[in-house]
This record gives sequence, C-alpha cells and structure tokens, in this order.
Amino acid sequence: MTGLQFPLATDRLELRHFERADVALVGRYHMLPAVQRYLVRPTRYQEDVAAAVEIMRGQVCLQRPGDTLTLAMQRKGDKAVLGHVSLHWSDATAGQGELLFAIDPAYAGGGFLTEALTAMLDLAFGHYGIHRVFVRCDGRNHHSAKLMQKLGMRLEAHYREHALFQGEWDEELHFAILDREWQATSKVHPLPLRDRVA
Amino acid sequence: MGFYPDLPIITQRLTLRPFTRGDVDAVLDYRGREDVALYLFDTALSREECALAVQQRILQTSWSAEGDKIVLAAVLSESDTLIGELSLIWRSEDARQGEIGWIFHPDHHGRGYATEAASALLDLGFQGADLHRIFARCDARNASSWRLMERLGMRREAHFREHALFKGGWDEEFVYAVLRREWRTGG
Repeated sequence: MTGLQFPLATDRLELRHFERADVALVGRYHMLPAVQRYLVRPTRYQEDVAAAVEIMRGQVCLQRPGDTLTLAMQRKGDKAVLGHVSLHWSDATAGQGELLFAIDPAYAGGGFLTEALTAMLDLAFGHYGIHRVFVRCDGRNHHSAKLMQKLGMRLEAHYREHALFQGEWDEELHFAILDREWQATSKVHPLPLRDRVA
Repeated sequence: MGFYPDLPIITQRLTLRPFTRGDVDAVLDYRGREDVALYLFDTALSREECALAVQQRILQTSWSAEGDKIVLAAVLSESDTLIGELSLIWRSEDARQGEIGWIFHPDHHGRGYATEAASALLDLGFQGADLHRIFARCDARNASSWRLMERLGMRREAHFREHALFKGGWDEEFVYAVLRREWRTGG
C-alpha cells in the first residue's frame, strides 16, 4: 500500500488533520442548533467543542477496525474551516466503512461536501480497500439525503420511530455504496491497456 | 419494569406455550434440518444442541431487562403437535422496541399457522408489552419469511446488500417493521 499524504487536495479544499488551535474555528458552527441537531454527540457549550476537537485530533488514520479518520475541510486561499468529514472503519472481515460529516451552514450548498465526500470515498475504496461504505442520516435532513443521492449512494433503509433521539422519535435513513458501484460512477476512467505506456 | 405475560396464548387453532423438557424431539424434527437452518445464524442442530436450546427456552417466558426474549412453542391445539417456535425480544425499554422472529416446521407450511401465531405475538407485543414498534429481519432469499411479514402488514424498512458476511458469503438482509398505530389488534 502506498503511503498516504495529508492534506488531501480537492479542487477547492484541503482535507487535513485537526489541530489544537482549531477549537475557535470549529466552535463557529459546531454549537449551532442546525448542526448539533444531527451530531451523535451534541456540543452545546464551548467545553464540548474543545472535547470534540480533542477527539477529532486523535483520529489520524485507520489501523484497526473501530478506528476513525477525521479530516477538517479547509478552504484553499482563506484557510476557513468549513466542517469535517470522517471515515469510520466499522468492520474488517466484511470490509465496512461509515462516513460522517458536518458542515457550517454558512457554507452549505456550495458543493464543498460533495467534493470532500468524493475524496473520502476514493480513499475508502481506493486506498483502504473497503467493500461497502454507508451513511446514516436523520430523516428530516433533506440536504444530506439529496447529497447522498448525488454521490450515487442507494437508499437501503428508512427506519421510522425506531429509537428516541434527543427526546423525539427518530427517523433514520441509511445510504450505501459498494466498491464496484463507486468505480462505475467514478469520473476518472482508467485507460484501456493498449493505450498505456507501461 | 419488565413484562410477565399470561401464558399460554390461545388462538383459533394454536396454543402458544412455554417450552417444556419433553419438547426436544419435536424441536429436533425441524431444527435438525438443513433446509430450516439455511437462513438461520445456527447450523442444523444435533440432539444435544436441541436439548440445550430447549433447556434455555423453558426459562424464556418473560422480560426483566432489555435483550430478554420470550420464546414460545407453537402447538396445534387439536393434536397437541409442536410445529414451530416464535420469539419476541425486548430491544429497547426507552423507545419501546421489540423484535419478532419465528421458525416453523416445513411440513406445516402453507396453512396459515405462522400468520396466526405471529399475529397473536404482535398483539401481545403491542397490547401486553405496550411496545411502540416491532421489527423483524430475514435473509432476502427467504421469501416465505418476508412474505409472511408482508401478510402481517409489516413495511419493508431496509434492504441491506453485502453489509456483512453470512455463512461464507455476502449477506443480503431485509428489515420489516410495524408501528403500534399501524397495527389493528385482534385482526
């Protein structure tokens, strides 16, 4: 396996590890009700944000099942932190991974998440050899659902009232994509053998 | 809280009762078959394994903590023949969630016994145990199982592909569910 270099560059973003100094930048969006409503671990106060950044700072690579890789979405140029994307290696024998993400609502809708998640899917399938990647999102979160469909993920599950989440009945969607489906929709197609130099 | 149902449950043609020590051979009759084990996590059971399973089931008649199972034998009331088993598992106390499951002897398929028994167990879950949602899972190839879920009025909530390994191959799984307000008790 070739070495992985961070940051990962996309058109407009650099995906990099979190640093201690990011607490202020992350605090700008992490505590907003619209963001923390969908987070697994709610961050209501500044101390929660510091703890969240501390956890994300430690998530630098996938070495064993259960590990998570979390990267800050940093815009090239002004270095603004727009949000974060994570890849969680949930199962080794069956090659399963989960993507998690959050974005500052001020930057939502600009295609940044599409860019970052595309890079993460390339990483999951291309570098880590994962077989299936899934995303869980709240049923009320239409932006996430549309984004998943844009990435070519299939809706696999729609659970209704299967749990309580922050005091309300939860509605949850699962989207998934297999490695062979991702290759089929990838924008870069490998050249046929005869056109290759080596 | 817990849930300690009055047993047995009597339906039109069936008695759903706790297992007893005398049930081992009747259970072996279907759990010992490869075609029955095909879509179960267990392989076909030996007589010793059946004895152990029955031993366990004798005590599974109530819930006192999340994860507890009520496992009942389905018996034809007229002939006292054991034709299968059903389970109701307490998945969440807070969110009042339960999971239902069943295994029936293939010789007794096609007469509506499973529908009758499962329907009584859903009644028990919603009325007796005050559940909010009951779900069931099965292998996508197990058509007789998911058709039963549909007959019961359960909705297909999930279709997972290759999300896990099952008996050496990729697993494909359906999840069906029904909410309390969707379920018509006594149907």
